[in-house]
Amino acid sequence: MGQFIQLVVDGLSNGSIYAVLALAIVLVNQATGMINFAQGGMAVLSAYVTWRLVEAGLPLIVAILLAVLASFIVGGLLERFLMRRFERGDPDTAVVVTIGLLTLITGVCGWLWTYNNQQFPSLFPLHTVRIFGAAVSVRSIGTFLAIVAIMLVVQALFLGTKLGLALRAVAINPESAAFSGLPVGRLLMAGWGLAAALGAVAGALVAPQLTLTPGMMDTALVYALAAVILGGLSSPVGVVCAAWLIGVLENLAAVYVHFIGYDLKVAVPFILIFVVLIVRPQGLFGRKVVVRV
Amino acid sequence: MKRKKNVRLTGAIALISAVAVSLTGCGGRDDDSSGGARGASTGITDTTVTLGVTTPLSGATAGPGTCTVAGLKAYFGAVNAKGGVKFGDGKTRKVEIKAQDDAYDPQKAKSNYDQLKGSVFAMTSGLGTPTNRAYREAAIADKVPQVLVMTGDPIFSDTKESPEQLGFVPTYVNEGEAFGKLLAASGQDHKVAILSQNDDYGQGYVEGFKKGVEGASNISIVKELTYEATDTSVDAQITQLAGTHADVVFNAMSITPLAIASLQKAQQLNWKPSWFLPSNTSSPKAILEPGKAMAYPGVYSVSFAKAPQSPAFAGDEDVKTFLSDLKQYADYPDMPAFPHCMWSYMVGATLDQAFQKMKEPTREGFMKSLRDIKDFTAPLMLEGTSVDTTVDGQPAVSSVVVQKYNGTGYATVENFG
Repeated sequence: MGQFIQLVVDGLSNGSIYAVLALAIVLVNQATGMINFAQGGMAVLSAYVTWRLVEAGLPLIVAILLAVLASFIVGGLLERFLMRRFERGDPDTAVVVTIGLLTLITGVCGWLWTYNNQQFPSLFPLHTVRIFGAAVSVRSIGTFLAIVAIMLVVQALFLGTKLGLALRAVAINPESAAFSGLPVGRLLMAGWGLAAALGAVAGALVAPQLTLTPGMMDTALVYALAAVILGGLSSPVGVVCAAWLIGVLENLAAVYVHFIGYDLKVAVPFILIFVVLIVRPQGLFGRKVVVRV
Repeated sequence: MKRKKNVRLTGAIALISAVAVSLTGCGGRDDDSSGGARGASTGITDTTVTLGVTTPLSGATAGPGTCTVAGLKAYFGAVNAKGGVKFGDGKTRKVEIKAQDDAYDPQKAKSNYDQLKGSVFAMTSGLGTPTNRAYREAAIADKVPQVLVMTGDPIFSDTKESPEQLGFVPTYVNEGEAFGKLLAASGQDHKVAILSQNDDYGQGYVEGFKKGVEGASNISIVKELTYEATDTSVDAQITQLAGTHADVVFNAMSITPLAIASLQKAQQLNWKPSWFLPSNTSSPKAILEPGKAMAYPGVYSVSFAKAPQSPAFAGDEDVKTFLSDLKQYADYPDMPAFPHCMWSYMVGATLDQAFQKMKEPTREGFMKSLRDIKDFTAPLMLEGTSVDTTVDGQPAVSSVVVQKYNGTGYATVENFG
């Protein structure tokens, strides 16, 4: 029983890593209507900025806040000067551009800061506390709570604020939004900026665990995308729950389902996706897209 | 429209995820042999000899990969500055190095080889089992020496299978066996938990370890688990292994962040066994310090190179020359975080030996004199280890000594405990 609880707790802590990236992907999707594969790369870049600032002698929390601010600006600029050109065209083209951006950012990080693993300081200490007999590190709890907080903020932003409503309007129908007097361009920039800022937080939460390298988020991105599909593109709460579910099920399947084991556990989230997409194409928590004709 | 767009997006993501999974699942291998035989003395003139390297200079393995070039450049930079190597045929030649990035990708390694083979005398020093394997057959067909490469795969040291090849570093089996023997000789009862990477690397270590403890009644292996090289966490495995209360963990792991995370995780679970770590994931600075390894009764690894960061070797002449050569000729100003910097420096010294003895400027002459080096103590080698290229089936360095972490570096140990 002790082992079971420990595996669940470990799974939640892994799932939190996927969740934080998934949230950023949902944010961009809700604000611009597209999937940004470069989200992981942008988070890594922000983490490097944070790391440089800490190395320069700033306290960690100040460094993170500065990196969040810088990321907001860079995210907005990327939208304005790069993505804007592709937003009106085929969505597939835009998706491919973000993949290119991911490769580019990874390369630039490697070129500037080498591919060596850098030690990234953590906001939370590594002490452990015991919960129901399982050892949980304060770091995991901190990350977990931070993600819950971010999730609630994002959910509230989209569902409870005028800005959120405007962002969604622009994403769903830019033409009509423009006719209604919404500043479409600036809203798209804000959407990317917010997602990049969230990415900076994600990077700071994840880097102490994975150690900072340019490819740090690559595998996490695959799981994050799985969580996004599973939870539903339109639901921040949904993707976070899906990410936790993936983390936990993966661990349990590896230990208790013999033919899966540690070698096949990577397939678990994708089997889940197939099943969910067949039964509920909009994802577990997603809203069905309805079109008025 | 909107609905269609979303369906397409979902489709695109599903496709990309599927590609990502299949990439993670299978490490492709390209054993295509092509290209014709070249003149025997390509890459060597009366004044120069050119060596080719394909190694990861970007990507996850770039840290060690960069080191495999840096040490070589440092060694031959210093030699060239003094005029060059005096070859066995009486001519003095400078050594040039052409290094290309393969990002640990077998396809790229093969194409790098295809680009280099027309202009280099020999391929050397490159890191990686899949990457070196990718052009092994082509090198045999082209009769291009692929020597002193950084892989623990035994196939490179089998003259029948690989006539143009020779590995440099001890095989995974050599390393695992050295630790197994030490443990078996302790005389006390030990319960061992094994965690290994699910590929030739991990299997080689485990095979060697089992060979080392064969017939030792005091050693019992209580659980064996594996992980994939692409995994981001091994917390679940450590949790499961902790349940066995084993007093020794044999951790055949090649991924730096996972090695740190497993040391941290076991501490969090309040499980304090002794650890064995492979030579390439045992760096005090990069792994043991962040992993807080001093919390354990012992962290063991094997080595054949002096560790420059260890205070024990701070005043060592070899180490001082090595560090200054590295800074001056290889543009590598930092203290090396990976042993590959020292290894490739020794590769340089070993090649130097072969060059000095080769009577004619041909690849055949080179292979002959390279396979004839015995009891050579290259700079930076630890006492008790040496280069010996004369034993078939063994790499150039097959002797390792077991070492124990002491908080700052490693010290050679004779007994476990």
